[in-house]
Amino acid sequence: MFNLIYWELFKTYAKWRTYIGFIAVGVLIPVIMWIMWIEGGKFIQYQLRTLQSEFLITGNLFNGWVIAQIIMNGLWVHVPALIALVAGDQLSGEATAGTFRLTLIRPVSRTKILNAKYIATLLYTASLVSTIAFFSVGLGLWIFGTGDLIAMDKEGIVILSESNLAVHFLFAYTLAIWSMFVVASLAFFISSFVENAIGPIIITMTIIAIFYIITFLPVESVESIKPWLFTTHMNVWQQALRDPYDWVIIRNSVLILGGYNAAFWAATLWIFKRKDILS
Amino acid sequence: MSEIILRTTNLGKHYKDRWAARDINLEVHRGDVFGFLGPNGAGKSTSIRMILSLIKPTTGTVELFGHDLFTQRERALHNVAGIVEKPDFYLYLSAYRNMQIAGSLTLGTTPENIKIMETLETVGLAERALDKVKTFSHGMKQRLGIAQALLCDPLLIMLDEPTNGLDPQGMKEVRELITKLTNDRGITVFLSSHLLNEVEQVATRMAIINKGKMIVQGSVEELLKTNANKILIHAEPVRRAKSVVEKMEYVGGVAQTEDGIVAQIDPKHVPAVVKELVAAKCKVYSIQPKHSLEEYFLEKTTES
Repeated sequence: MFNLIYWELFKTYAKWRTYIGFIAVGVLIPVIMWIMWIEGGKFIQYQLRTLQSEFLITGNLFNGWVIAQIIMNGLWVHVPALIALVAGDQLSGEATAGTFRLTLIRPVSRTKILNAKYIATLLYTASLVSTIAFFSVGLGLWIFGTGDLIAMDKEGIVILSESNLAVHFLFAYTLAIWSMFVVASLAFFISSFVENAIGPIIITMTIIAIFYIITFLPVESVESIKPWLFTTHMNVWQQALRDPYDWVIIRNSVLILGGYNAAFWAATLWIFKRKDILS
Repeated sequence: MSEIILRTTNLGKHYKDRWAARDINLEVHRGDVFGFLGPNGAGKSTSIRMILSLIKPTTGTVELFGHDLFTQRERALHNVAGIVEKPDFYLYLSAYRNMQIAGSLTLGTTPENIKIMETLETVGLAERALDKVKTFSHGMKQRLGIAQALLCDPLLIMLDEPTNGLDPQGMKEVRELITKLTNDRGITVFLSSHLLNEVEQVATRMAIINKGKMIVQGSVEELLKTNANKILIHAEPVRRAKSVVEKMEYVGGVAQTEDGIVAQIDPKHVPAVVKELVAAKCKVYSIQPKHSLEEYFLEKTTES
């Protein structure tokens, strides 16, 4: 199995399209940071203007951790497209190229081949989110220095001490990887019944967009389904920037996202095992 | 009788409104070069895809080396390699990497460097081992496909239209390679083709399929015997020539066709036939043996 995973990773990382995500992240994040550096903290001051009128705030609020959080909030809409670009090509790419005729006549079960591909897809997803983490935090701390983090959301504000932020961010990126696995699993699932690489990307992004619209739709009739949509839980990583953690929310989100992962994987396996290779 | 290493029983595939293949009962013996013949769209590729587990059959079973394909897939396919239609590769990888991937799928571990290079050498691609496959010609891809098939020392190789798209030289090379595989390595070759001349030159046993149904199966020698001693006479005037030939006691099955007069004549009597025709003032333009596989194939597929 390790051999199969190794070669699936090899094939994935030998393709040019795999690096589009890394290049996008590697270009976009430094550009955002450069803009932030030129702006010199105006953005943060604007965000904190209400607080500053009520509280005396001291220390370096315009630091690498804050920048990393802003970038994470900003990129979260675009990352799924970069993941779908690779995940959506895993099965459909082989169908298009005709290489299933090479692999599926070998004495290896389709389940093993599919699992190796799925694991390679998840590892790619983890590596892309880790790259975002590396650029956001690493470059942010290097350029803007360190300090406390003021995290705000609809429930209020939290000030996280600089000394604990590495752990908080590690946890946040771990949760981010978990939520992005759902996007990867969805694109992977769609690629099992489509025979071109563009289809899965478009369909995945369409589904995510529809789910997001429902998630933010202030209509009572859809309130009951909102907790079950994966898009409702995709920002679970923000829960890691709380003190103390709300473990109930985190657990529910992790379980629901995990359920989606399992469901997409099982559906893909079911289709793939029965698929006639006609291409 | 040698061991049967591939047996299909009532193998069939039904799509929405038609049977692509039906009741395919094949028996391939160890050491055979088995020709699987049929016109385009006859169901050859569908049958091969079912045997190699790319397509799930609607009916029937496949047994490879005594193992059922559907319940013991890994054991059944362990000694089998194949090329279905044209060989396809990861074009963005080198020939060497493609060999590694194909080998690791069969062996469960990456094959040794020396083994890969030896196999590439066999098909004359060792010098291009590190080149990306997208730079290869069709003939080179075909040879690489055969190298991939040979890499793990299979006992049975299934080749689906292996000379498709090749130039005459390439076709000859593939034919020679097939003969070499059987003679030197003892590999059984299952060869599907609609090019009868190609099969006639290498096959020891064959089956003919048409419109999804199997028509006949047996040794090439035995099957062609039924057509033995058929001679095509091109002589004029045709009517007079026919009446002369019909009167000869050692000639049988005389018939007039578009090409000339067809008759069953022992080759030793051919000079006498020519002599009689000339004596009857017929102009004899040619006398050809008419027992080729092509004749047999056309006869059988037309009947079905």
